[in-house]
Amino acid sequence: MNITKERTQTEVVVVGAGPAGLSAALAAAQAGVQVTLIDNYRQPGGQYYRQPAAEFKTLQPESHQREGKLLEEKVTAAGVEIVTEATVWGAFEGNQLALYGPKSPPNLQAQVIILATGAYERVAAFPGWTLPGVMTTGAAQTLLKEQRILPGRRIVLAGTGPLQLVVAAGLVQAGAEVVAILEGSRPLQKALRHPLNAIAALWGQGDRLREGLNSQLVLRRAGVPYFTGWGVIAAHGQEEVREVSIAQLDDEWRPIPDTCQTLACDTLCCSYGFVPATELARLLGAPCEWRPEAGGFVPIRDEHMRTKLPGIYAVGDGAGVGGGPLARIEGRIAGLAAAAQVKAKSSNGDETAILEKITRLKPALRRERRFQQFYAGLFTPGPGLDELAQPDTIICRCEEVTPADIHEAVRLGADTLDAVKALTRCGMGNCQGRVCGPLAAAVVAQETGRTRAEVGQFRVRPPVFPTPLAALKPVAEDQAENTLQAGGLTR
Amino acid sequence: MTNSLKMEAPVVIVGGGIVGGATAYYLARRGIKPLVLEKSTIGVEASARSAGGVRAQCRDRLERILAMASIKLWEGLEAKLDFDMEYVQGGNIRLATNEERMAGLAAEAEEELADGLLVEVWDRDELQRRAPYLSDMFIGAKYCATDGVANPILSTWAFAVAARRAGATLLTHTEALDVVVQEGQVTSVLARGPEGELTIETPLLIHAGGAYSPQLGQALGLHLPVEPARNFIGVSQRVRPFFTEFVSSHDMHIYFRPARAGHIHVGGVLVTNDTFDKNVPAEGVTHLSNITLMVPALRNANFLRAWAGTLAMTPDRLPIIGPVEGLGGYLLATGFSGHGFCLGPIVGKLLSELVVDGEPSMPLDELNLSRFA
Repeated sequence: MNITKERTQTEVVVVGAGPAGLSAALAAAQAGVQVTLIDNYRQPGGQYYRQPAAEFKTLQPESHQREGKLLEEKVTAAGVEIVTEATVWGAFEGNQLALYGPKSPPNLQAQVIILATGAYERVAAFPGWTLPGVMTTGAAQTLLKEQRILPGRRIVLAGTGPLQLVVAAGLVQAGAEVVAILEGSRPLQKALRHPLNAIAALWGQGDRLREGLNSQLVLRRAGVPYFTGWGVIAAHGQEEVREVSIAQLDDEWRPIPDTCQTLACDTLCCSYGFVPATELARLLGAPCEWRPEAGGFVPIRDEHMRTKLPGIYAVGDGAGVGGGPLARIEGRIAGLAAAAQVKAKSSNGDETAILEKITRLKPALRRERRFQQFYAGLFTPGPGLDELAQPDTIICRCEEVTPADIHEAVRLGADTLDAVKALTRCGMGNCQGRVCGPLAAAVVAQETGRTRAEVGQFRVRPPVFPTPLAALKPVAEDQAENTLQAGGLTR
Repeated sequence: MTNSLKMEAPVVIVGGGIVGGATAYYLARRGIKPLVLEKSTIGVEASARSAGGVRAQCRDRLERILAMASIKLWEGLEAKLDFDMEYVQGGNIRLATNEERMAGLAAEAEEELADGLLVEVWDRDELQRRAPYLSDMFIGAKYCATDGVANPILSTWAFAVAARRAGATLLTHTEALDVVVQEGQVTSVLARGPEGELTIETPLLIHAGGAYSPQLGQALGLHLPVEPARNFIGVSQRVRPFFTEFVSSHDMHIYFRPARAGHIHVGGVLVTNDTFDKNVPAEGVTHLSNITLMVPALRNANFLRAWAGTLAMTPDRLPIIGPVEGLGGYLLATGFSGHGFCLGPIVGKLLSELVVDGEPSMPLDELNLSRFA
């Protein structure tokens, strides 16, 4: 179904069409409410279900892509309006979203907003991380999955988590030489410390294990070395990366002295987990809490995925990193709860049946959360990762800010993260603090002797994505006249 | 307040914005080491959130004289304070889209020239020649070459840092709560900081609290006619520099100016009255896109963020500066109504003269609180 550009209201709007958003939209629409699903890419699916570009449609899609396509078809059949290529640049009081895009209305008001905005990859600022050829593992995966492009020929993967294995296997199958995979943690050792927990967490995770084993098989056949307890500490090269320094890491991810070696390569893919994209929730003023195992600050939610703000839900990685399957369950719960909320208001509702469905999803939710907890325990980088930056290592690429600059700002008296931002310009560039925010917060925490939870995060300001000036349209002309009073400034 | 910490200071300044910072700096330079109380941190309230305009044109006469003197100070500030404030005298253009506006600007030019402020009145052709980046919706403008801009954040910090270096003490996250007056004379200020309550014995309180001033005024039994209002600014991504002026149109309710790194700051000549809310409303952001009607080349430039600040508005939109009758040891410097950034240095200097010499080198009487009596 196509949305009309003139629409300004809907019952439920879902922001983000990855596993969480698609599931939320489907559940809400099947429960009988009007749903609009918005995504800023050309095709729904998000990173998890990322589809090949339209030009490659004849290629054999992999299992996630098939699953995503199926879900998308169900969503369309359920009557959900899908708006692609639409950027939600702001969220405002009264459940108002402001958008721009070739097919999107300039604003949309909804009874319920479900935020399913996904996550960014966490980056680490080690010397040389800004060299061409150094990229996130997710970027390499996007090139591979969507564009069928190899990022390089001789590739080192470093970081943590099974995504490294999946992408490495894809790179090998596409013809690249994977020089080595460095896993910073020692997952097997950690898992064996609490074998019963491991078994409990892995119960019912057959798909995940199968995917992992398949990747392992490809990598073993290709003879790709896999080191646990190792990490990259620097990248070197003039015009682009030529080699990387690696070292053995202790349990806190601090390099063990005298273990440093070098590896020659033309590409370094880094994967340190994910940071939830919480901009819209924060712009609306949803209270957040610091949960490092979920990727950082996340909106506080209840069992129905409601934030502390009325009518604002948050699901999937954007509300706490937990992966595709957890995102799907959270999405379904939020979609159902949103439908119940809309129906309760219209008073012809059969919300009890909907709420029962939510109850039936609880065991699956518990299972996935248990797995997520187990997974986070194995694959969350230690504090040593934030200590790799040297005083002159750039941590804010847009404005070229270094830890030395932050040190100087703190010395002058900048005692909050926002004061550091103001004084150094860190976070004021095109990434709007997405990349450098956690890096800067870590430096400020070190400099001021406070915890990350105390340091907090950059204040979010609209627009939450760089937005062409000409694309901004008034939310409501009459409303604008009421709130803004000309002549207040007489001179 | 049995547990409160006791301190002493020759002068307590409430407010660490550009006015409080400049006052602290000039006082410290004259040998009086003040204590500055800032309720949040340096450079996060109105001074640092402003557009950074440093202009003398298009002001009320009382402000014009002060602004001209302040700009004389601004010209030497970076060297004096040893701080890069990104100060540039890039000129100021006030635009007109209609004859009525143009006539008003021309009349104002005569007053300004009489006061010794060099301004030019441009017709349509001259405007097109001097500012070819503007669309043809404007029929003329008034221009002042000595006006300019500074980075509001760095400038606020510059005074705070220089004041501290000169001997002032800055207490951030410390809010003045109450003032003790004995026999018509201020004797101490009560404040709350991260370590708890403070009692600061002082013979002189300088109140530069911006929009937050009335509350402490109330503690003194004063009604300060200062009301909060929200104004907002957006900033574009970096573009290749193509103009230097601070440009404004009160017909389009838009002003804009370039920043050194290539970003363009765009503000609304609009306020929301009676609010301390610093969230930018959607219609605030979208209003700023009107700049694309004025500068068509910016249509495809990206907006990166918008922020709001709280102005301290007075009924006549002029600041309240100087002593209050019947209350010894108390000086006001507040209610700048959105015009304070440029005036900060001169007001700080004049207040320091008032304290040290007993009389400022320029008269401030007409800006006293008593004008509202």
